[in-house]
Order: sequence, then structure tokens, then C-alpha cells
Amino acid sequence: MAASDRIVRWRYRLVPDHLLGEILTKRWVDNTIPVLILIAVAATFGWLISDFFSMSSVSSLMRQWGEFTLIALALMIVMVAGGIDLSVGSTFALGNIVALTLITVAGWSVPAVIAATLACGAFVGLVNGVLVGYLRLRAFLTTLVTLIIVRAIVDMLLLKYSVAIAAGFVDSDLWYYFGEGDVLGVPFSVATALVLALVAHLALSRSRVGWHVLAVGGSRRSAHNVGIPVRRIICMTYVVSGTLAALSGVLFASRLGGAGADTGVGLEIAALTAAVLGGNSLGGGRGSAAKAIIGAIIVMIMVNGLVRIGVTRGGSSLLLGMVLLAAVAIDVRWLKNRHKFLSKVYVSPTYSELPEAPATSGSSPYALNDRLRPVEAIGLDQIDGPEDVILDEDDNIYVGNRTGDIVRFFAPDYTRQEVFVHCGGRPLGMAFARDGSLICCIGGMGLYRITQDRRIERLTDETSRSWFSIIDDSRLRLADDLDIAPDGRIFFSEATIRYEMHEWPVDCLESRGNGRIICFDPRTGTTHTLLKNLVFPNGICMTHDGQSFLFAETWACRVSRYWFEGPKKGTVEVVIADLPGYPDNINRASDGTYWLALVGIRTPSLDLALKMPGFRKRMARRIAPDEWMYPNINTGCIVRFDETGRIIETLWDFGGENHPMITSMREHKGHLYIGGILNNRVGRLKLDGVDPGWTGWKSYWGQS
Amino acid sequence: MIRALGRAFDNLLGRGDAAVTVPPLDGALRPNRLLDETGSRVPLAEVDCLAVHGADLVASAGDSVFAQGAGGEWICRRSYGSAVVGLATIEPDGLAVALDGGDVVVEGGRYDGRRYRADASVTCITAMVVSGSELFLACGSEAHPVAEWQRDLLEGNASGSVWRIDLESGAGARVAGGLAWPAGLAVDRAGLVVSEAWRHQLVRIGLAGGDRRQVLHADLPGYPGRISPASDGHWLAIFAPRSQLVEFVLREPAYRRRMMAEVPKPFWVVPKLRAGRSYYEPLQGGGVKHLGLLKPWAPTMSAGLCVKLDPAFQPRSSLQSRADGHTHGVTSVAEHRGQLVVAARGDGVLVSVPLAGIGRGGRA
Repeated sequence: MAASDRIVRWRYRLVPDHLLGEILTKRWVDNTIPVLILIAVAATFGWLISDFFSMSSVSSLMRQWGEFTLIALALMIVMVAGGIDLSVGSTFALGNIVALTLITVAGWSVPAVIAATLACGAFVGLVNGVLVGYLRLRAFLTTLVTLIIVRAIVDMLLLKYSVAIAAGFVDSDLWYYFGEGDVLGVPFSVATALVLALVAHLALSRSRVGWHVLAVGGSRRSAHNVGIPVRRIICMTYVVSGTLAALSGVLFASRLGGAGADTGVGLEIAALTAAVLGGNSLGGGRGSAAKAIIGAIIVMIMVNGLVRIGVTRGGSSLLLGMVLLAAVAIDVRWLKNRHKFLSKVYVSPTYSELPEAPATSGSSPYALNDRLRPVEAIGLDQIDGPEDVILDEDDNIYVGNRTGDIVRFFAPDYTRQEVFVHCGGRPLGMAFARDGSLICCIGGMGLYRITQDRRIERLTDETSRSWFSIIDDSRLRLADDLDIAPDGRIFFSEATIRYEMHEWPVDCLESRGNGRIICFDPRTGTTHTLLKNLVFPNGICMTHDGQSFLFAETWACRVSRYWFEGPKKGTVEVVIADLPGYPDNINRASDGTYWLALVGIRTPSLDLALKMPGFRKRMARRIAPDEWMYPNINTGCIVRFDETGRIIETLWDFGGENHPMITSMREHKGHLYIGGILNNRVGRLKLDGVDPGWTGWKSYWGQS
Repeated sequence: MIRALGRAFDNLLGRGDAAVTVPPLDGALRPNRLLDETGSRVPLAEVDCLAVHGADLVASAGDSVFAQGAGGEWICRRSYGSAVVGLATIEPDGLAVALDGGDVVVEGGRYDGRRYRADASVTCITAMVVSGSELFLACGSEAHPVAEWQRDLLEGNASGSVWRIDLESGAGARVAGGLAWPAGLAVDRAGLVVSEAWRHQLVRIGLAGGDRRQVLHADLPGYPGRISPASDGHWLAIFAPRSQLVEFVLREPAYRRRMMAEVPKPFWVVPKLRAGRSYYEPLQGGGVKHLGLLKPWAPTMSAGLCVKLDPAFQPRSSLQSRADGHTHGVTSVAEHRGQLVVAARGDGVLVSVPLAGIGRGGRA
């Protein structure tokens, strides 16, 4: 290996490029930019103002923050449903004056005051909600108008009661507790905000109503089409928003006990900045309580920091406005470009050097021939993509197809067919269990059992989640092929955890060990991952000793053997290290050897590209997927080998005209049945000099 | 410095020169299957260039020149010992035959039997055209012979030139240099038109002295080759299509270098006259067969394309063979006795299409 190749190999072994794409598929990645801004803001002000994060400074900031966060939460809930509520500032002021008036002038009891104030806020929200939700007025204009109206009401109340409020005195510890008390050492307002944020988070992420809110914000029309009461949901968000704003007003009233003309002025802009800066999308559908909290912290730090370094009120508003503008711009660009960026960086190739490919001419055991010329076509143009083929003891053929059926062709002439079951997904590898039920790997679904009376049972669709995997690898994405041990355990391969069924050749561009082999134990019903980081593990076949199985790694062009019992338990040994093509399914042959399907032949240009991951990465970014260099899966062949890895014979279709694309083959009573994942037929080839009575089921279960 | 930075930035983001764009087949080049579906087909292995000699249509293939017999079959007229790389008609009854290595031999007419050579450095003749007593010839590259055209493309060479030979005196002179594989020539009243394959364009070169060049048609979706006269305008043979993958590989110097060194030539990622014959050739995503079928729109390294140009050298219509077709690698086109004869070297076949049936907009 050249030195440059070695450097490239280590570079790709040490830097996990694929994680970037995986992180970007996560929803929480939306929080990245807000968190970075938060760190930057905190660092800046902490550096500018020496005692900014001192105990006393923080605790006075905390109470304000609690009240402010409630407003930000209120706005977040409305925004997530696709609306906007500008009246939160006025409602906050209204809550303040109403609470003060009721407690000092009217002399109500504290619980009654709180209930009445919240009802007041809810009423303002209801007015907004009815206008915006039911009468379908524009949210922006409507809440702008309620902002002015409520502000006018507040001014009228102020005129009438401000003197009385200033003169009054409240004799209630409970009342002051709201503004000055602590809960477990945390200021009451902060505790309230955190509890409500938790409630909002759980509601949005875990409850039906929260999902409805998100759905309405994501796409109003789709939400309507699926039967969500869009108008009621929207109305409700405004009611919640008004209530939260009023609650914030109560806390403010309790803390300061005074009402002024400037209470809550400009609060809506600060709250809007907080909500948007936190990453809640203005377009709706994307937002969370955590984002509102992050945004509120940023704005709080900024506003107070600016005041403390002596920026005048006008200057600080100006800065806040600029930040809001920037946040909106980032929001729009991020939303627009995230998917574009993701689609560019998700494919992340790594270094892969394959051993030199053996020749397919001359005296090579892989030499080209036309042994597959006499293949007869079964179900030509009647079957779409039979990846695997299997026959029962009555000689009927079972194949999966692209539309999620398992189709049965009836013996003896296979001209009649029926849909055996419709299981959905993409049926791939199949095997018959001892009791005659069909065990099937279904791409996109998992491992399933189909009993003889056509009942479909799920065996497993998840395995243990890896600790350090970013994408959730517990769910089975692409269960590929399986085989059953004598004790009933089912070993199956999952080809890749990074790609869905229809993108399987793209995994070759990566050539990373994205696949695994999993064991399902029907006795305990448990599933666990046996081998990880395999390069597209595909075919699996029990050896005759009952202690190990052979498995093929497609993009690594090798066949290995794994012992699950016996003295060599847990070890992997390579059986064939250098195949000239990409191995797919492996199955038993009647004489104790094994059939192996090569789905494609290695091309020198791709072999070279596999050693140049940067080239493949740029290719994936620059050119359309249809133009990508692919493994050549148009031509394949069938190989027979024994347990030592010796190649006994190769069956080719010279020219590829008669039977293009081979992914599996199954020997049955002197014939070989051939399947192909993108083919439109099942092939059938008469074999000479083999046991004409041999069947797979007998080989597995016949002796016992 | 700023340009270098700009280039590095472009390379990172795939912009500017690093952007891989291939013009779509549209307008006069809308895809069709006329080459596969119309006309009669006669096989002739390695057929390359066509010319009209007197009353006959002649074709070069391998190291011989063939003429069409009465029954339409092709009969070897003469072998030259080295590959014939171009033919040109000398009015009224002569034929210039260019040989691999740089010699030009004349058959028949006033200059019968004479042998010319433009210059010792001219070893890679790709096309010829005769105007009066002057023979113009295009030399594809200084670095490689004709058969190595793919290597010349991959190396990004632009060492081609156009030469003039006075048939009377035999004197050769260079008309233009620095061309990226000039592969076709045509003469009209305003001068000489050259198809510059690696730059996908048709260029007019002034003959009046000075090296004035004017691009007549740029950004063709394939590599333009020989140009031949038509009753109203010209025919252009496009010998291979451009593809995004090849364009991308051309922007990847490290991969190109290693590919040329480590991968056998037939299996390179490079335009071809005929692709898809071997399973060792590169396959692209869209080229995967589904249900036993190769899609006609599949990305391909070879195709059949000949284009009708109007007198201003703008495409008017085209005859094509798509990815799943069997008339790939069109190297020469000729009009003869009311027929359009197309030489598809990739598939070793000559296709004759009645001229009367070829309409506008690529429809027959």
C-alpha cells in the first residue's frame, strides 16, 4: 500500500465523517445555533461586566427571567401552531393592573385574585382566538389591534386606580410569596416557569393535543384533511397564551406591587426575539419549550447586560431589534437549507481497499461460460423483483416481490400463481422452519413468520440500541437474509443501518461497516446484536456442523464463517477473501457444498474509487444520484464453494441476455431456482449429477 | 492569489469551474430513436469515415477503404497497411485518404497517386476537407495518436492544430493551433469551421490572416466530430455524449491520474464509442437494469447523435440512438443519392435514412 493510501485510510478511520449527516437528521439539531448564540452572549457579557454572574446579580435576574419566560412560552405555543400573538405585552400589563386592583382596592382573597386575573388573560386570549381561529382574521393585525385595545383598557384602569393601588397595602404573606418566595431555593417565578415549560414540553412532544398543535403549525391544510379541529386548536393556543401572559403579570404585580404606564411596553418584541432566537420557527410546526427557555435566557442576559454597561434605553431596543432581524434571517435560511445540506453530506464514504480481483477468464475458477444459457423463466413479467426464492416440500415456489407480497407459484409447471400473503415492506430472505412455517426478513419491517395457514406474525423488529450510535439503531431498517440454527435460533443480517431499502446500492459508495448480524431466540423472544460493523452483510447460511454459519459481506467481497457454538464459539474466520464480485445470498447445495450468488462484478474504476473516499464524497455532492458510479449489478453469476473456500464451479450467463441480475439461488430436487432483486422472473436450471431427491427442508430438518 | 482562493472556494462548494453541468438534450436535440428505428442497416466493422468519391460512396474501416456494391454490401477497395483515419472528396473525382501517422494519399483525379504530409509533427489526423486546390486537415493532438483520443481528453490537452496543404506544390502551413482536439472541418465562404471536441464547440477560424476565432455554437451536449456538407447546411457527427460523471472525473486530477495508471483502458470512466459491453466497465446509478431492461434515459458513456446544422451552423434537427440503442458512436455522416448515410463506429454499422423523411425538429 502506498504511503498516501495509508494516510487516507487512517484519516477516514479516525474521523467519523458519517456522524455529521446523522446529527443533521435529528430534530434537536435545530437547537445548535441558539445554544451557540447563548454561549457567545454569556461569554461576552461575562467578560464585559466583571460581576455579571455573581450570586446577587443572578438571583435578581432570575425572578425577571421567570416572568419573561412565561411570556416567551406563551408566544412559543402560539407560534408553533402557526400564529403570532403581539398582545402578550398588553395582557401582561392587564394582568398586573387587574391583580393589583383586585387585591388592594377590592380586597379579594389571593386565590380569587389569581383566578380572576387568569380568567381575564384567558378572555383576551379567547377574543384573539375567536377572531383568528374561527373568523380567520390575520393573526398579526388582529393581535396588533388587541394590543392597542388592551393597552387602552390598562391606561383607563391606571387612571382610575393607580393612586388607590399606590396607597393600598396587602396584608398577605401568600401574595408576597409569589414575588419574593423561593421553592427549594429557586425563586417562585422561576419554578413556575420551569414547571410550566416542562408541562408544555410534555404536551407538545407526548400528548395528542400537542401533536395536533404541531400538525396545525406544520401544515394547516393537511391537519384539516386528517380531521384535526384546526380552528379550535388555534383558538386554544391563544387562550393558553393569554392565560400565561396574565400569570406573568400576577407574578410581576406581586414582586413590584406597583403599576406604571410603561409596564409591559415593548415586551412583545422582546418575547418574540426570545422565541425566534431560541429556534422556534415563525412559520409554525417547529418549536419546543426548551427553545423558548434558551431564547428567554439569551434575551434576558442581553437586555440586562446592555443596561448595566450603560447603553441607553433606545440603544438597547435598537440592538434587540437587530438581533430579532438576524434571528428571523437565520430561521429562514436554516429551514430552507437544512435538507439541502443534509442531502449533500449524508453520504460519507470511507476508505476501502479490496484485495485484487481474480480474473474471470482463462484457467480461473471464475472463468466465463454460458452455463446459465438453458435457464427457463418462470413467471416472466408476472413478478416484480423476487429477491429470494424458496420451495416447500410440495415443490411450490415462494418469492417476495417489490409491492410487499409473498407470491406462490404452483407445482409442477409453475404457470399458476397466487398471492400467498400480503405482508407489506419488502420481503427479502426466506427460510422454512421445522414446523413448515416460512420465516421471512422483510426490508423496512423486520423479521416475520408466516404460518402455513397464512397468519403473519412479527418475530422481532428491534434489537438493543448501541450506546454511542447517534441514529437510533434499535429499529431494524433492512433485515436482509436469515437462516435457522438446529436449536431454532434465527440468525439474520441487517445490511445497513444508514439507508432505507430502495437506496441499498448507495451504501456501497460508503463501504463502511454499516451492517450487523442479529440473533433472535424464539425460546425467550429476545433479540440481540451478534456482530457489528459488517460491510453490508447479506446472505447467511448454516453450515452442516450446526455450530456455525457462513455470511457474505457484499461490498467487502468476502464470505466469512461465524461460530455460535462449539470450541470456536464467538470467532469469525474469513472463508473467501477475494471474490471477483459482490456476494449476495448463500444456500446449501445437495453435496454438502454451498451456492453463492454474485449480484454484480467488481469494476476496476470503482475499486479505485473505493480507495479515494474524497473522490466519492465529492461525487455524491456534485452530481445527481442517477449519475453516481455504482457497483456493476447488471451482470452476476452463481458460484459453488466448499467450507474451505475452494471455488468448485461458476455458472455464468455470457452476455447477460438470458437471466440478468442474480441475488439468490436455491437447489431443490435436481434443479436450481434463481431469483434477482430487480428481475422480472424466476430462473430454473436443471443440474446434472446431483441428488434428485434433495431438498433444503430435509437437509435442515429431515434427520431429526 | 485571489483567483487561486476563488478556485479553492469553488472547488469546495462545487461552483464556477467546479460545477458539473451538462446541457440537456433539448430543442433540436430532443431525444429520439431515429437512428435505431428508421432506415436500413448494413454492418461494417470499425467503419469510421464516409466520403463521396465520384459517383460512389466510400467508407474507411480499419486500414482499408470500402465502396458500396450494387446490392448495398460493402466491398474492400484497397488496403493501406496502416489505419485510415480520414477521407475527403477532391472535386470532381479525387479522394484524399489520411493514414495513421500523418500521411495523406490521393486516389484518382488530378492528383492521383500523390502523397502529402503537412509537417513532421502532424501525426494525428482526425478530419480533412478540400477547398479548390487546398487541403485542410485537423491534427487532434501533438501528444497522442488518434486511437489515444480518450487519454488526450483525460489529460486535458489542447495541443490540436489545423493545417493547410497546397495540393499543387505540396507545401504545408499551420492555420491555427492550441485547439482542444479539433475533430471536424468544414469550409464555407467566410472561412473554416472547426469542431473542437474537448471544448464542445464549433469555432470559425478566419483564413484571411491573423488568428481570429469566433465561437459559432458553444456548450454542445456531446463531443463534436466530423462535419460534412448537406444540401442546405451541414451534418455534424457527435461521436460521444457528455455525461456528468465524466465531467466530474475531468475535474478530479488525482483520480484521473490513478485511473490512467491502474485501470485497463477499456474500463476507464471516459466517453466511448460503445459502452456497456463488458461487466468491468463502470456502471452508473441510472444504468441499473430494472426488470431486465436498460432505461433509454440511463446515463451512458456512449450514444448515437448526428445533428443537422443550418448554414449558420446552428442545430436544426437530429437523429439519435439512446442509451439502450444499437447505433452508438457516430463518427461520420454523408448525403448520397437522396439518402443520409450514418457511420456508427461504436456498433460497426452503417445506417441509411431517406433524406426526404427527415423533417424539422428531429421528427421523421
